[in-house]
Amino acid sequence: MASREIVQYDSGLSRVFKVLAQVFLVVYLIWTVSPFIIMVGSSMKDLLEAFTLPRVGDWLGALSFFDFSPTFKHYVALFAEENFGAYLTNSLIASVGSALVAVVLGTSCAYSMSRYQFRGKKDVFFWIISTRMAPVVAVIVPLYAIFRSFGLVGTLPGLILAYTTFNLPFAIWMLKGFFDNVPYAIEEAAQCDGATRLQATMQILPLVAPGIGAFLVLCILFAWNDFLFATIIGSGGAKTLPVATKELIQPQNVQWGKIMAAGVVTTAPMMLLGLLIRRYLVAGLTMGAVKE
Amino acid sequence: MQKTLRAKRASFSAIEEDHGYAARRLDYGPGALNEEPKRRYHILLMAPAILTLAAITIYPFFWLIYMSLHKVSVARSDRWVGLDNYARLFGDVKYTDGWLLLVKYSALCLTLEILIGVVLAVILNGSRFEKVLVTVFLMPMMMSPVVAGLVWYYLYNGTFGWYHWLFQSIGILGETSILADIDTAMWGLVIVDVWQWTPLITLITLAGLKRVPQDQLEANMVDGAGSLRNFFTVSLPNIYPFLLIAILLRFMDNFRFIDHILVLTGGGPGNATRILPVYLFDVSFQFFKLGRGAAIAFTLLIVTIVLGLILVRIFDDPKKQVASGEAGETTDD
Repeated sequence: MASREIVQYDSGLSRVFKVLAQVFLVVYLIWTVSPFIIMVGSSMKDLLEAFTLPRVGDWLGALSFFDFSPTFKHYVALFAEENFGAYLTNSLIASVGSALVAVVLGTSCAYSMSRYQFRGKKDVFFWIISTRMAPVVAVIVPLYAIFRSFGLVGTLPGLILAYTTFNLPFAIWMLKGFFDNVPYAIEEAAQCDGATRLQATMQILPLVAPGIGAFLVLCILFAWNDFLFATIIGSGGAKTLPVATKELIQPQNVQWGKIMAAGVVTTAPMMLLGLLIRRYLVAGLTMGAVKE
Repeated sequence: MQKTLRAKRASFSAIEEDHGYAARRLDYGPGALNEEPKRRYHILLMAPAILTLAAITIYPFFWLIYMSLHKVSVARSDRWVGLDNYARLFGDVKYTDGWLLLVKYSALCLTLEILIGVVLAVILNGSRFEKVLVTVFLMPMMMSPVVAGLVWYYLYNGTFGWYHWLFQSIGILGETSILADIDTAMWGLVIVDVWQWTPLITLITLAGLKRVPQDQLEANMVDGAGSLRNFFTVSLPNIYPFLLIAILLRFMDNFRFIDHILVLTGGGPGNATRILPVYLFDVSFQFFKLGRGAAIAFTLLIVTIVLGLILVRIFDDPKKQVASGEAGETTDD
């Protein structure tokens, strides 16, 4: 970094700032990570161990959190007693299914949106993006009524279709940005060489393949993490992991060990996927407005 | 790579024009002679997505309007009530309070997220651990909001929650859990949102800070500015468009995601955290008054669409070139 080369006079104040910055960083780090540590730790604790807290103000006592004998019985119970295997499958089918639908339809649409000029294109585009930004709670009211009359409530196809309402516009919007960056000259050249339109289109697909892959993963992530659609549209036959996890909270008996274990099961795969597409994450989460 | 390709393309067409090939060039590629097959080809490619999207968005939108004008019940057929559903919203304290609470909740979340997020980005920028820490800070965003809600519900618990113990130890909270008190419940929700989404602001700001022209910073330093003044006079104006996008995105997300609120408080205690989307959820799916729910949903949608228009306007702004467009190309590796 060039600015480093300029000599800065190290005043006492700036040294204080530097120390403060480090403290802030450490505190923030602890704050970010602690819920994860507590979640994973509690998922491997017995009931009694999970419910012990140090006295108020006993700071050193906080270390007692790590004093436990790990057990995996909550994880076993999830799959043996609570039928989490089935919910895991539901989550997988619904999220991967809707991501595939969104990316396959989205790629072809985004390609043409990028290459073809027509009247009212801007309006169509705004419509597409606005469907993505619409609040799920608002969308779900009519969708529920319609799906009920078609018998889609409580089915996986219904859930996949519901997820498509936010994944498809996302895929179109993001992938159009990708296609815009691929020069038209490549297709022109291909067509000069005698390729058909379709062949010319196929020529540039390898260039956008990384983007398509990344947005497929992001679509999976959005669908997997959804709760509202899953609890309303998927209730009954198509229960997904987030809904099943929440349902472990019962009025008379809250099974925290199991809930934390379920939280780990729901979160861990998405964490790995997130790391996998780290490069595209910012673009994806800001609808392409910001690129790293 | 793209730059060179684009440059090549430009020089290529320049040569073409020089030799009078421009007219013949229309025979192939994006030519005028085969406009019709081209049109058919692209419509064929767009149709499946557009039709699917229309079926699951436009059709429901008209259904929403229809429902909002009817009294919808599961057992009997819908009864026309005109604008009654809307008229009753104005007398509904929970509805108007819902808007106020939504604005209050968003304001609290956004202020904290922007403050912490920007400070964090400035500290992280160019630091030795930037890569590792940013990756760690990404973790909360990958978590399902409902799971985040559950974890924090556990952390806030009045008898065995670790964060409840922390608040008590610091001395800012008594025996009652943060979520059980009308005065503090909103803060309980804000903390979760800040925990989960501040990293997004940090990432966006970091992306912006990387684009701050070094020469401006250096010139400013030569003029005697310290790092603090440097930030406010050079960096901040440069990352401003990024922050604007971040604010709007987060504001709209506050409309979209209520998952953690449903878990943590469900709108209570009393109505202290019943922001409008939560109220809409209650009316529609707790009391199954789908007609009234539709009226609320319609007003919520209109506001979102207006916000969306503003957002798209910013995307299209020439300033956006700073934010993504050209800049995105130069950093492409």
